[in-house]
Amino acid sequence: MLDDILRVLAGALLQAVGLLAVAPLLRSGIKKMKATMQTRKGPPLLQGYYDLAKLLHKETVRSETASWVYVLGPRVYFAAAVAATTLVPVLVAAAPLEGAGGILGLVGILALGRFALAAAALDTGSPFGGMGSSREMTIAALAEPALMLGLFTSALAAGSLDLGAVVRGALVPGALFRPSDILALAGLFVVLIAETGRIPVDNPATHLELTMIHEAMVLEYSGPDLALVEWASALKELLYITLLIDLFVPVGIATTTTAASLAVAVAAWTGKVLVFAVAITLVETTNAKLRLFRVPELVAVSLGLAFIALAIRFL
Amino acid sequence: MTPNIVILCAAGMLVSAFLMVGQKSLFTTIRLYGVQSLLLATVAVVMAISDERPHLFLMATMTTILKGFVIPLFLMRVVDRIGIHREIEPFLNVPASLLACLGLTVVGYRVSTGFPEGTVGVTHHVLGVGLSTLMIGLFLMVTRKKAISQVLALLTVENAIFLVALGITSGMPMVVELGIFFDVILAVLVLGVLVRRIVDRFESMDVSRLSKLKG
Repeated sequence: MLDDILRVLAGALLQAVGLLAVAPLLRSGIKKMKATMQTRKGPPLLQGYYDLAKLLHKETVRSETASWVYVLGPRVYFAAAVAATTLVPVLVAAAPLEGAGGILGLVGILALGRFALAAAALDTGSPFGGMGSSREMTIAALAEPALMLGLFTSALAAGSLDLGAVVRGALVPGALFRPSDILALAGLFVVLIAETGRIPVDNPATHLELTMIHEAMVLEYSGPDLALVEWASALKELLYITLLIDLFVPVGIATTTTAASLAVAVAAWTGKVLVFAVAITLVETTNAKLRLFRVPELVAVSLGLAFIALAIRFL
Repeated sequence: MTPNIVILCAAGMLVSAFLMVGQKSLFTTIRLYGVQSLLLATVAVVMAISDERPHLFLMATMTTILKGFVIPLFLMRVVDRIGIHREIEPFLNVPASLLACLGLTVVGYRVSTGFPEGTVGVTHHVLGVGLSTLMIGLFLMVTRKKAISQVLALLTVENAIFLVALGITSGMPMVVELGIFFDVILAVLVLGVLVRRIVDRFESMDVSRLSKLKG
């Protein structure tokens, strides 16, 4: 009994640490691919790690008016992102802490992190923080239901709210593909773009006051606090991609814990993350950033797609 | 495997129809129509192989060449010459249109279950997607003001009918299909000319201005 609990906890820890270690590489990789497409040289692949190391060594500067909400914000955001990784199957077709919560738990934990950061941005009373929070929440109000509906579409097929069960259901040989899967995938891809602040919605590379959303929220943070936020954002991006992989292309994920199947799972997962990274890069290079007031329209499209995906499951 | 590809492509057509509703740029809408036609051609090819109906290969080829490339390029040239690139004010704004199309999709899917073949398996999905795309096309036709958008809506409806025909009848006789093809090409050519004339006359593609022609 105790052995089992220890093994589960070790698995969860291993997965969280592994994803944390890889996450900055994904961001730098996308940056590098984008630069290559624009015939620039771009930063080195390990730039994400250098940035984190630099920020972690700096001293923390906090506004005099900052309260405990401001201090807590990045920590809760980071903790929520790490906690969320334990609810998603990555290499093995079962989430490490499957008993602790399924889809609802995942969405709730991510929402908690977002709330903590938005509240923290409001805390110092700087106009940028407030503007960033209000924008982030405007988008989240539409993206979150879209995420829920998209996840429910897959959950309906598996008859379970557990992500592990959803993945195992999709792996059954002869499972028929449905149009609702495509609609849900299209919807969730837009959610991925919106939630990770990619180009048609937000530009991660700019600090232009009129357009920034996520950057406006974290403008006040510096040093280790900022490192936590950046790291958690990178982790969240990897998490969303992994989620899409689990729901729609779980092929190759390990169903047993033998070394061979795990090796296959690692290769398959890396390959699929790479495919999604390329897709994100293509979207980022071929689109211009949308006007802020057009963003809700885009996210509404994803909400719509996810809604029909769910609706036609019943017909 | 085969049903999966068919369903994948059919659902892709529905998604592209939705993106058309959410899109205001005419160029993007035309490209989406091209993609939609290519998906339709893929459905035809897969069905040709799985059901051993070689004449569908011809249809797929013609769909690819004409609807995938020739018609979109022609329409892009028309748009380019006229110099109007955006659908500024549809009768219904984008969020409301999307909501309406959600409803139409549900209706289309519901109706498809009324057909005897339409309740199970691949046919159910192809039929549902086809009918939904058809209704979205009709909806686009009545809510858009620009003549080119309306032409594209008509072409979307035509694609949807083709998909439904593939889904339930396993393909119409070749003569009928060829006839439809020539109709479509002629329609696009005539409408292209008509659009130019409307623009010459009103310096706008807005078809609601045509009512001024009344005496």
